[in-house]
Amino acid sequence: MNPWELIIQQPLINVLIVIASFFGGNFGVSIIVLTIFINLAMLPLTLSQIRSSKKMMDLQPRLAELQKKYAKDKQKLAQEQMALYKETGIKPAGCLLTFIIQLPVWIALYQSIMLTMAIAPEGLLNLSSYLYHWEIVFTALPLSRSFLGLNLGEPNFILAIFVGITQWVQQKMAQTPSSDPKQSQQNQLMLWMFPMMFTLISISFPAGLPLYWVTNSIIRIIMQYRLSGWGGLSRKPREDTGGKDKKYVDLISSAERKSTDDVGADIVITDQQQPPSKSRYLPGKDRERHRRKR
Amino acid sequence: MKETTKKKRSRRHIGKILILAVLLLVIGIIGFSCVQGLTPVGWSGGVVSDNTLYVGTKEGRLVAVNLADGSRQWAAQLTASGGGGGLFGCMPAGGGCSGGSSGVAIYGTPTFGNELVYIAGYNGRVYAYAKETLATRWVYPRDYYLAPIVGSAVVSDGRVYLGGSDGYIYALDAETGDPLWNSPAADEKGKTEKIWSTPAVSDGTLYIGSTNKNVYAINTADGTRKWVFPTEGSVTATPLVVDSTVYIGSQDRYLYALNAADGTLKWKKMGENWFWAKPVIYEGKIYAGCLDGKVYVLDAATGNELITPFNPEGPLAADPVIYEDNVIFCTREGKLYSIDTAQDVLNWDVTLDEQGKVQVNGPLAINDGIVYIHTQDLTLRRVNAETGAILGTISLSSGE
Repeated sequence: MNPWELIIQQPLINVLIVIASFFGGNFGVSIIVLTIFINLAMLPLTLSQIRSSKKMMDLQPRLAELQKKYAKDKQKLAQEQMALYKETGIKPAGCLLTFIIQLPVWIALYQSIMLTMAIAPEGLLNLSSYLYHWEIVFTALPLSRSFLGLNLGEPNFILAIFVGITQWVQQKMAQTPSSDPKQSQQNQLMLWMFPMMFTLISISFPAGLPLYWVTNSIIRIIMQYRLSGWGGLSRKPREDTGGKDKKYVDLISSAERKSTDDVGADIVITDQQQPPSKSRYLPGKDRERHRRKR
Repeated sequence: MKETTKKKRSRRHIGKILILAVLLLVIGIIGFSCVQGLTPVGWSGGVVSDNTLYVGTKEGRLVAVNLADGSRQWAAQLTASGGGGGLFGCMPAGGGCSGGSSGVAIYGTPTFGNELVYIAGYNGRVYAYAKETLATRWVYPRDYYLAPIVGSAVVSDGRVYLGGSDGYIYALDAETGDPLWNSPAADEKGKTEKIWSTPAVSDGTLYIGSTNKNVYAINTADGTRKWVFPTEGSVTATPLVVDSTVYIGSQDRYLYALNAADGTLKWKKMGENWFWAKPVIYEGKIYAGCLDGKVYVLDAATGNELITPFNPEGPLAADPVIYEDNVIFCTREGKLYSIDTAQDVLNWDVTLDEQGKVQVNGPLAINDGIVYIHTQDLTLRRVNAETGAILGTISLSSGE
């Protein structure tokens, strides 16, 4: 057994089996309970990730302004963006880093679920090498794959669709708006691509895996909602805003019309917590003021 | 100067993000790739008749190997029951990732009777072939597929018996393949679970284990139940029936000895993992290989441990064979152990592949002092039973 199997997979597999034994050997309940436990254990990381996303969301108007201002000088734009991130305490790589730390845990959970399900006879034989010498583990097997009328050992189309829906909702809530059309396009692509990809995978895999993904997405949706509301889900697309967000649209338009070459251009504050208002942004001065405050 | 430093810094930052993104992608691809053991491959053992060894391969074919000259003959490939495979080949009945089989997996060892050789496939069908030509004689069922079959079929008194993953035991006419009876191996709630065990038939009674944790004794005449014995774990092992006693391993870590007549417990012996392989008996001693990597030597009458267990240092899943007064075991990693039963000492040991790339899960076969081991790399390996010398390999691939 390699260190990954010994330290990560083996404990997770045995915990899955023990949890199942407390719920009448039901593997479905065991998957849900363990996913909740792991999410709780990773709560600090997840919260920091969600907070970073929110900060990023709040920063979008200022980033948009910088993009307008330095549209022709990409290097300068990058420098200014970095300066802005530094000023506001945002680490763009931080989100990714947090995700990288979490990823092995999700992979381990996925692998443990698939191993414990022991779909093929080889899987069952392999499972024997992961078991601790606890009586409860040996008597709990085989786990019941029947859960809410589903056979967790076989692919389930409805659950696969549900994976796509929950992932779309979660991503939409977490998505940071961007004034850069390219970025916007990329965001839109990701918003559809990932849920579709996971739906396709779910159709191919035993339903135990989609059950884990759905549970995970629902937990993330709840956390996201508690921390930053509906996020991207509540923002209406610009063309659909009608008269309600007219001021917002007007302000953007006026900002676009103005020349941004001079220092002291207008910016738009679009934070949803505050009513949209116009303020004068002085990059050099404001940054200086911010530094002094700190 | 200041500008250049800033440029360098921003470039470094972008570089870091790129490295992280690539790292993320690599971890994701490796981690979420298929898990080993998800795709059925098969582990059919070999059986010898008239100097010809019959074995099922992971290509989904029955192969007849002439042991005199090494020539091979292949039967037609088994047909998949449809479905399965999935978009990424991660569901049963398909090939794809994790070294999955390119054909229908065959777990059962072939068996023969009269002029026919029989094999059961993971596609849920039983096939009968002419021994000489490997031409298909009959298929059961003809128009549909049963649930996957993992255990071997056995032939007794002109009948073929087998258990299916639908929890039913089937009896077929060996000549025609016509169904005679089927019997559910249900628990006290009437629920059936998969049967992956190979049945054993003795004196008009069929003995078989089920993953519903029970051992069943069934009348071979009509499929009615004689007795049922509950264990604490799934029973996937093949029973050994000798002298009115049924010896069978369970996944509750016990090897059970039951009275064949009424299913009462004679004794039970605990290991540290599952007793997956069928035990063997020689001169009143039981030799039972366990997935804890030990061979237990027990008194067949009392279950008492006679000596400290042998430790071949590897889980034992393959059914052992007896050669003269030696018992030969093979670990899953392909390490063979010969135990001299007269003195209960290790006779010889040999590793099939020093690089540890072979895997042995299916039963061993023996003929004329040569042990035949079907490894999962589509190869039949041969070892001298007397000395442990490796005698070379025979490829079972139909493409060679």
